[in-house]
Amino acid sequence: MSTMPLYEEAAGRRRAPLRRLVSGLEPYLYIAPSVVLIAVIMLVPLTIGLSYAFRDMQLINPFSGGFVGLEHFRTLWTDAAFWLSMRNTLVWTLASVVLQFAFGLVLALLLNNSFPGRGVIQALVFLPWAVPTFLSGLNWAWLFNPVVGPLPHWMAALGILPAPENILSDPHLAIWGPIVANVWWGIPFFAITLLAALQSIPQDIYEAAAIDGAGAWRRFIDITLPFLAPTIAITVMLRTIWIANFADLIIVMTNGGPADQTQIVSSYIFTQAFRRLDFGYASAIAMVLLGLLLAYSFVIILMRQSLLRR
Amino acid sequence: MASIDIQGVGKSYGAVPVLHEVDLSIQDGEFVVLVGPSGCGKSTLLRMIAGLEGITRGDIRIAGRVVNELAPKDRDIAMVFQSYALYPHMTVRDNMSYSLKLRGTPSERMAQVVNAAAAKLGLESFLDRKPRTLSGGQRQRVAMGRSIVRKPKAFLFDEPLSNLDARLREQMRVEIKKLHRELGTTSIYVTHDQVEAMTLADRIVAMNAGAVQQVGTPLDLYERPTNLFVASFIGSPAINVLDGTLHGDGERRFVALGSGETMPVSDRIQGRDGQAVRVGVRPEDVQVSTRGEGDHTGQIELVEPMGLGTILHIRTVSSALKAFVLERAHYQIGTDVAFSLPAPKLHIFDAQTGQRLPDQAVSP
Repeated sequence: MSTMPLYEEAAGRRRAPLRRLVSGLEPYLYIAPSVVLIAVIMLVPLTIGLSYAFRDMQLINPFSGGFVGLEHFRTLWTDAAFWLSMRNTLVWTLASVVLQFAFGLVLALLLNNSFPGRGVIQALVFLPWAVPTFLSGLNWAWLFNPVVGPLPHWMAALGILPAPENILSDPHLAIWGPIVANVWWGIPFFAITLLAALQSIPQDIYEAAAIDGAGAWRRFIDITLPFLAPTIAITVMLRTIWIANFADLIIVMTNGGPADQTQIVSSYIFTQAFRRLDFGYASAIAMVLLGLLLAYSFVIILMRQSLLRR
Repeated sequence: MASIDIQGVGKSYGAVPVLHEVDLSIQDGEFVVLVGPSGCGKSTLLRMIAGLEGITRGDIRIAGRVVNELAPKDRDIAMVFQSYALYPHMTVRDNMSYSLKLRGTPSERMAQVVNAAAAKLGLESFLDRKPRTLSGGQRQRVAMGRSIVRKPKAFLFDEPLSNLDARLREQMRVEIKKLHRELGTTSIYVTHDQVEAMTLADRIVAMNAGAVQQVGTPLDLYERPTNLFVASFIGSPAINVLDGTLHGDGERRFVALGSGETMPVSDRIQGRDGQAVRVGVRPEDVQVSTRGEGDHTGQIELVEPMGLGTILHIRTVSSALKAFVLERAHYQIGTDVAFSLPAPKLHIFDAQTGQRLPDQAVSP
């Protein structure tokens, strides 16, 4: 019996390097399944997609596929339509986020008061969020169409438009069509999240402030806003990225037209890839958009951390 | 500092009345405690004085001025909440100076006042910390500091000590009392804890079911409770209540208990012969004797030693009662004891209405 442990020990010493290797690998083996999944589902397609940016990939040309280096990026640099879409992306994102946030906050503040029928109104307010974007795009396109929709006539009657025309076909105004639809569709997101944040503010803090001498405005500035700030930061960041990438409404309502006047970068990518079937060029634009959004997220994360450290 | 007058004040939520016709006059510098079980309307009354709840009927005057329609910020009162209601995103200093800032106080003056208040409450080393880093007692102090910095007309306390543990509660109670002696500001304090009420108050307002039951000094309420509710709410251990019938045979007045036992009562008690009554007797007024000296007998059922004294649970033929004794005699469970109920210490209430029977001296 006394020889048994000795034997085991000797065997252990002989296998030590292997055992050390296995125990070193152990944590990596545990996370391997998720790494493999992420690699197969995300990283591989992403790399292939990005590699298209450096190749001549045209679906209608069976002889394409060759390596072209930075050719697409040189074209992009001088592509007026791309720079226009960059500018439109800015207008589209900024206007949509600001208006969605403003209306969402007002709505959340209103819904935070109790009044008869609040439950029903709350449900109705959140309805647009449940409508598929494709449908809401079509709806708004019809609403802006003077033949079937009332909006151009109302706007003309109010003096906003000189004549009841379709703003979607006016190169200077067309971008505001999808923006209006996007605002209508996106308000509930801000309303829901901000309402939830508002409802988590303890009522007695407002009461204490009222007794301390704060009127409604000071209470909003000194209590409501500081409590909402973390929610505002995170929702605005998320929405900015989503909206910058969000081409559905534009594709449905204007298809980027008239004359590329409503083209944003993501809809321009869609147009290049699926209408002109130039996957190489579309990938190059996508790579630029990816870079820009990564930079934006990075800045936001830095800002958030400096806020947290304060 | 100011007096507060409450006249015929009532409150209803829709058709549901929660406060009936409250009349109360609080003098300048007085410390008044509203006490009662939860749901009795004491907090509602306090919030009506603060302006956080509307007034359905009647008038509330602060320093002679009707404030019914005045916003809380214009009433110049300060309130300490049960949850402290500190501003979590502001430092202790900012919490305390917020009301001064809103009034446009110059910053040197503000710093001076806040530092003085912090020194008084022992908060100097916490001024730059956020409330979440403080303990319950420290938060409570900040909430009080926030109130005292602006020298309001009155302090309102809404169960300020309920979230603290027993030891800390005792300590803060003393601090509140000291603070009141120093500042002399009119204070209204709401609590369901009768010990807090007894120890802090100049006058206690006992409330039940939306109505004031009795107003008086702590000892008034303790020694001459106006009805059964006040008698049983004030005092710990609680008063003993025995059912009986009042009898008077010319010279002597006595109460007959259900068991047939009788006990003499003060002949100044006004009441009909044969009136159903409930007799209240405080546990410390039950005179227990181990040597068999007493008018009644019973058996010790349970002994609760409290250090200061001992609570004895005595079972008699018809009822059970508690006695509080100070001597350290060793009482055994199951032993027979004799006890007597001294007539002047008995509180006699009408069994139907629960009101104290009048006991004016009969004119000779």
